[in-house]
Amino acid sequence: MNVEFIDIVQSLIDGVLYGSTYALIGLGFTLIFGAMEKLNMAYAASSIGGAYVGLGVSVLFSFPLVLIFFIGPIAAGVLSVLVYFCCFRYLPSNNHLAALMASIGGLFFIDEIISHETDGSPLDFPELGIFSEAYFEIEFSDMFLGFRGDLIFVMFASFVAMLFLLYLLYRTRLGLATRAVSQQPIAAQLCGISIHQTNSITFIIAGVLGGIAGCLAAASVGVISPLLVLPLTVKGLIVTVMGGLGSIRGAIIAGLLVGGLESVFLLLRGVNERDIYVFLLLFIFLVFKPNGFFGAEIDRD
Amino acid sequence: MLKVDDLVTSYGLIKALRNVSLEAEKGKLTCILGPNGAGKSTLLFTIAGILKSDRGSIQFLGRQISKMKTSEIVKEGLVLVPENRLVFPHLSVRENLLAGAFSRFSRKDEVEEDVESVYQRFPILKERYLQEAGTLSGGEQQMLAVARALMARPKLLLMDEPSVGLAPKIVNTIFEIIKTLSEEGISIVLVEQNAVKASAIADHIYLLDQGEITFSGSPDEIEDNDIIKRAYLGDITES
Repeated sequence: MNVEFIDIVQSLIDGVLYGSTYALIGLGFTLIFGAMEKLNMAYAASSIGGAYVGLGVSVLFSFPLVLIFFIGPIAAGVLSVLVYFCCFRYLPSNNHLAALMASIGGLFFIDEIISHETDGSPLDFPELGIFSEAYFEIEFSDMFLGFRGDLIFVMFASFVAMLFLLYLLYRTRLGLATRAVSQQPIAAQLCGISIHQTNSITFIIAGVLGGIAGCLAAASVGVISPLLVLPLTVKGLIVTVMGGLGSIRGAIIAGLLVGGLESVFLLLRGVNERDIYVFLLLFIFLVFKPNGFFGAEIDRD
Repeated sequence: MLKVDDLVTSYGLIKALRNVSLEAEKGKLTCILGPNGAGKSTLLFTIAGILKSDRGSIQFLGRQISKMKTSEIVKEGLVLVPENRLVFPHLSVRENLLAGAFSRFSRKDEVEEDVESVYQRFPILKERYLQEAGTLSGGEQQMLAVARALMARPKLLLMDEPSVGLAPKIVNTIFEIIKTLSEEGISIVLVEQNAVKASAIADHIYLLDQGEITFSGSPDEIEDNDIIKRAYLGDITES
């Protein structure tokens, strides 16, 4: 296959736009890790689960399909906090392995329920209306680069969600509590902050972000399938590791990067090999840059 | 004001506190002295609700608080300044103070007023209000930890070894601050290893050793008790 430079740039653009959903998922992982120093492996499952609930509810009650994008994230928030109560809240707080195993259990539990309810087959997911038909072309020194309208919308919506998150974290009393708990849990309690309450809220916020990502990802592909869960989990983890565990800007940058690179791998090596190279990235980072881009931020005193 | 009765706290099988009883009076500075590992921090953590007791009662302003959560205890007005300060390292000085006011559902301007009054008490914190707390010196962090606790408008302030790990000159400053707070009428329970300095400002002293209260009395009574004086105050006071 003869790949020209412009094809690579074009794949990179598509990938970076789509990668904003990975950035959202990575943010969710990093938020929860920042709050509890624990990985919530069930996170992508609850995100996709939320999208499924949104789809199911909208179809069942014949709501306008645009409501999926509101019901989905809310449902994902609820699922996420359920995961917190089942896999984190009542386990010994210093036993990180127990929470990890419990949340892996949560991942497969949600995944199996989805497979069971849908007989394992993919469902049509509504596309993004007029955005799906829109297509922009820009001429850039003799190259014509295309921008898919739905992917632009995906990135725009993801960025709005991120801005909302940053506002919550840095401008509200709730955000102050979240940051306080993540930096110094004992002192946070001594300031009158309830750790369990703050953690629940962190899970809800992360869940809603994941639900938005899940809906956007499904909408830009046009289908939703239980097969989305594992790749999204792994890519969320890769993004979190590359960005540096607990780093917000790291997750955003790494998300876009993973999206872009994945798309280029797809172009160069085809769909069967794509993920192999993405996973290789994970190993490269773990060996050569285990703290990711901004990992130092999570160092504690 | 604070009445601890027959308190037992353990880590697994090891009893860190054995039937501890003590009282702190309103407006007074009560001091708990004891060597390393005597259970002093365990005692304060149990009172503040971070650790749960096995047995015994803790009454604060007539209410039983031994089963309450820490966040509820803080709302009652009992606030602990923890050992090693435990400031939020990546929050700014100002955000640390705002976090301290978390328990108060009061209006914003009231919290702002308190921030201002804390700045007046500790001008260095005003100078550094945008700086990350982790970059402050040990003494400044201790001031911030005290200031953060004051933001909760405590009725009783528990202080766990505020002088630990600080240079002698800074230790003097910290004890000046404690003395001033006490003179302003704030009730304080102070846990210290620096027996000489602590007993100089205390109204009442308890000695805690291996989880048990071994002495209770005024600083003068310690002066009169040769054995305890030698064990805890050393020979410095005699020279």
